[in-house]
Amino acid sequence: MPPLSHSPQPVPPPVPVETHPNRAVGIKPPAQQRTLPDPSRLAPEDAYYSPALVRTRTAPAAYDESIRGLNGSTGTASSVAALRPPHAAPARKLRGTSRRRRRKGAWKKLLWVKQSYPDNYTDTETFLDHLQRNPRVRPYDFWPLVADSTVIVQHVCSVAIFVCCFVGIVQGRVSPVSVVCWGSVGTAVGWILWDSWVFREHGESHVVERASEGDDGSTSSGSTASSMNPITTTRSNDQKEHQVHGLGLTMSHGETDPGRRSSSSGLGDPCSQDAASFGGPNGVAAGAVPPLPPHDAPMTSRLSSRNRQRLSTVKSAFLIYCALLGLSPILKSLTKSTASDSIWAMSCWLLITNIFSFDYGSGKGAGATKFPASLSTNAAVMASTVLASRLPSTTHVFSLMLFSIEVFGLFPIFRRQLRHISWTGHAFMTLALVITAGGAVGITLRGGLTAAVVGSMLGSILTALAMGGCSWWLISLQKYKNVVTGPWDPARPIIRRHWD
Amino acid sequence: MPYNIAMVSDFFFPQPGGIESHIYQLSTKLIDRGHKVIIITHAYKGRTGVRYLTNGLKVYHVPFLVIYRESTMPTVFSFFPIFRNIVIREQIQIVHGHASLSSFCHEAILHARTMGLRTVFTDHSLFGFADASSILTNKLLKFTLSDVDHVICVSHTCKENTVLRASLDPLMVSVIPNAVVAENFQPLEQGGPPSSIGPNDIITIVVISRLFYNKGTDLLIATIPRILSSHPNVRFIIAGSGPKAIDLEQMLERNVLQDKVEMLGPVRHEEVRDVMVRGHIYLHPSLTEAFGTVLVEAASCGLYVVCTRVGGIPEVLPQHMTTFAKPEEDDLVMATSKAIAALRSNKVRTDRFHDQVKMMYSWTDVAQRTERVYKGIQGDISPEEFYGYYPGQGWEASGDRVRSFALIDRLKRYYGCGVWAGKLFCLCVVIDVLIYVFLEMWFPRVNIDIARSWPKKLKQKEVADSTGNGPDRVSSTT
Repeated sequence: MPPLSHSPQPVPPPVPVETHPNRAVGIKPPAQQRTLPDPSRLAPEDAYYSPALVRTRTAPAAYDESIRGLNGSTGTASSVAALRPPHAAPARKLRGTSRRRRRKGAWKKLLWVKQSYPDNYTDTETFLDHLQRNPRVRPYDFWPLVADSTVIVQHVCSVAIFVCCFVGIVQGRVSPVSVVCWGSVGTAVGWILWDSWVFREHGESHVVERASEGDDGSTSSGSTASSMNPITTTRSNDQKEHQVHGLGLTMSHGETDPGRRSSSSGLGDPCSQDAASFGGPNGVAAGAVPPLPPHDAPMTSRLSSRNRQRLSTVKSAFLIYCALLGLSPILKSLTKSTASDSIWAMSCWLLITNIFSFDYGSGKGAGATKFPASLSTNAAVMASTVLASRLPSTTHVFSLMLFSIEVFGLFPIFRRQLRHISWTGHAFMTLALVITAGGAVGITLRGGLTAAVVGSMLGSILTALAMGGCSWWLISLQKYKNVVTGPWDPARPIIRRHWD
Repeated sequence: MPYNIAMVSDFFFPQPGGIESHIYQLSTKLIDRGHKVIIITHAYKGRTGVRYLTNGLKVYHVPFLVIYRESTMPTVFSFFPIFRNIVIREQIQIVHGHASLSSFCHEAILHARTMGLRTVFTDHSLFGFADASSILTNKLLKFTLSDVDHVICVSHTCKENTVLRASLDPLMVSVIPNAVVAENFQPLEQGGPPSSIGPNDIITIVVISRLFYNKGTDLLIATIPRILSSHPNVRFIIAGSGPKAIDLEQMLERNVLQDKVEMLGPVRHEEVRDVMVRGHIYLHPSLTEAFGTVLVEAASCGLYVVCTRVGGIPEVLPQHMTTFAKPEEDDLVMATSKAIAALRSNKVRTDRFHDQVKMMYSWTDVAQRTERVYKGIQGDISPEEFYGYYPGQGWEASGDRVRSFALIDRLKRYYGCGVWAGKLFCLCVVIDVLIYVFLEMWFPRVNIDIARSWPKKLKQKEVADSTGNGPDRVSSTT
């Protein structure tokens, strides 16, 4: 060991290298900093020690603490993984070191300078100092997670109800007409509720004024316009987010997706058309023109425009009704020649596709979903088309198709809107759906009222357990999350698209 | 101590590209230093069999199934018989693979280790850890590199990335940058003193890149109109093609900039210099880059460089030749404006760039440093000297840097690759060894002719005579 007198840096402080803002230049950090490695960052040794070793190497207490930090709901938790304070200079620098290290100037992370270090020299200070672990990790909380899982539960339950209805119809236990009647009544009630919510929100967010009326008429004019609307809607949402912070904001969020679904699935369901035509003018107006105080003339014209839209909704509902009525014989014989086994298998897969590709988002990051929302709707409608061929009469087919459109096309829109409007309503809806689905499954399997009661009890308990268990599981899995980012990742360009 | 080296990669001429020219330049410089170098690549269209390039560089074009972008089908073992044949014919001692997307190179490294040869791998690119394709590539890389003798990376960022991806000992990874042939990238000849740029003279910005997303073409599309609107006396020359070319052209049409932006389409590598010398600033908006040879080429042509601070780019050029920007539209516009202002005020001595770059990067230097790696793995430099001895660094305990050829040691290394992958890799290695034993029985070594070496230049004659000692080392390892 060389004498300690050499320990004060014999070399002049290195030239500040811009690539390393964290490099401690000329400053001697406290030595004990080295002894406590930050668990959120990799040390060079980690690169080739196995992960298990890493975990034993870092103090377990510190590791647990970091996990707790991840689980905690504090907003600063994401900073757990932020760059740690300047990497401490190794203690050996203080202790003095071999002759070679002192003779040379400080190593720089540059390629264009000829350095007196060998090519495989690894600088402990700068090696991997830009590496970040879990930089954008968002900790989950138990109860919000459970609350969010209700959306999935709702959809799975409605699929289960649909399947049970089909089984009932096929087995002749339930009359198809009664099913579709109840479904239609529910849909009508839902639409009225939905319409009143939309109207109320519309009235509350009085950013709408005269300028929008022209748009209003044109966008709601017919089903062809609906293909244009989603674009307008989504764009206007973005603008609106900056402009208005009222109830109107949540409103237009809710509208984004139904509009898209209707246009892409080609169903042209009336409600979503309505929704799309609403989002358009609303958002455009909010983005373009400063809000004006409301006065009487626009109020009346708005009312009339509402009525026009209601009229067009009713019109398209009627059109769909007629089209289905006409198509039923064709749908009935469409897959008649296919074997039943294939039909069951296919409809199973299609319904599974529907469940997995369904857009459970609240509409905020609608563009971020991997699968288009149309995929799930199309899968469900195709499943019911395929199933329809196993039914005995045209009335059956018509009822099933109408019911499937109600369940898979319109009901999700209503549920989404309900979730925005009132959380209690959403919770009650979930409960009702779970109980109904459980009961329906019970009746289908065993028959009788007792089976229904047992089924709903069992279903509710199982669902609650599953929701809690899955949420807990997901949270407990978070500790395995290990996202490594560094300068080698392709940068995300930040571009403002305003030049056109 | 001259070596017989085989460079193995899927990517080689006639296909143009950075890796290809890297292999070629390194090989010729190594030949100049007295080594024997052959190149093994797959057959390209109209090019099968053995070719000789300048200076006796021998290229084997092995017929193989190409699946995607000139990389071959990853069949783990099918390359072995012909590879063994070539290696024995040419008395190879060191197998040097290039590029992590080349399955040829991975196979060659595996077989070479089975045959008892030293191996080196050069990584030319950066990979993330998130998406499925990089997870697969990284697993494959880990397989190959768990039993490699040394790894060369082209930049320090690349080294960090490779060390993480393949779980390597950092001391087993050397950083040896790319280089440029400075003679091919000379600025325009200027008689008399360097001309200064007046405040109203036209400044031309050159962009030469493939127009892909990861080359930052979106940033380019966003910045060009803003730069042109704030600087009327600026022109653009854009060379290169790719899927984003349409977006670029749309932007030009929408903003009516055709008279200010010249699109050249794809240019050959030989013509790059002629394009570069037409401009004053080189703009490089790439989003990821392991080294960025084109930046060095541009600086060598006397261009001031504006580039994004991503990947290994910040290590490549000194501060006075570059302006760095964040990969953001606003920052890139600002950096370009700063560069234009700096050029207009004649503060930047671009006429000196060429000589400076010539001092920084040369293939001779690269070959010299690569030779040190060869010496280190062949044991001509002691491990202490090669890997260094730094007390208290924590990883000197691993002691596994000098990779033994014993099968059980190799299996141990492969087994550590993962719970399932480790067992699979071990299985592959065992099968590989069995194939090797089989080949030794069916196609005995003695029946394979030894190829005659290309006659060396006179001044290295005495060095060439000593190559006769090489084969002993090779054949005594099974």
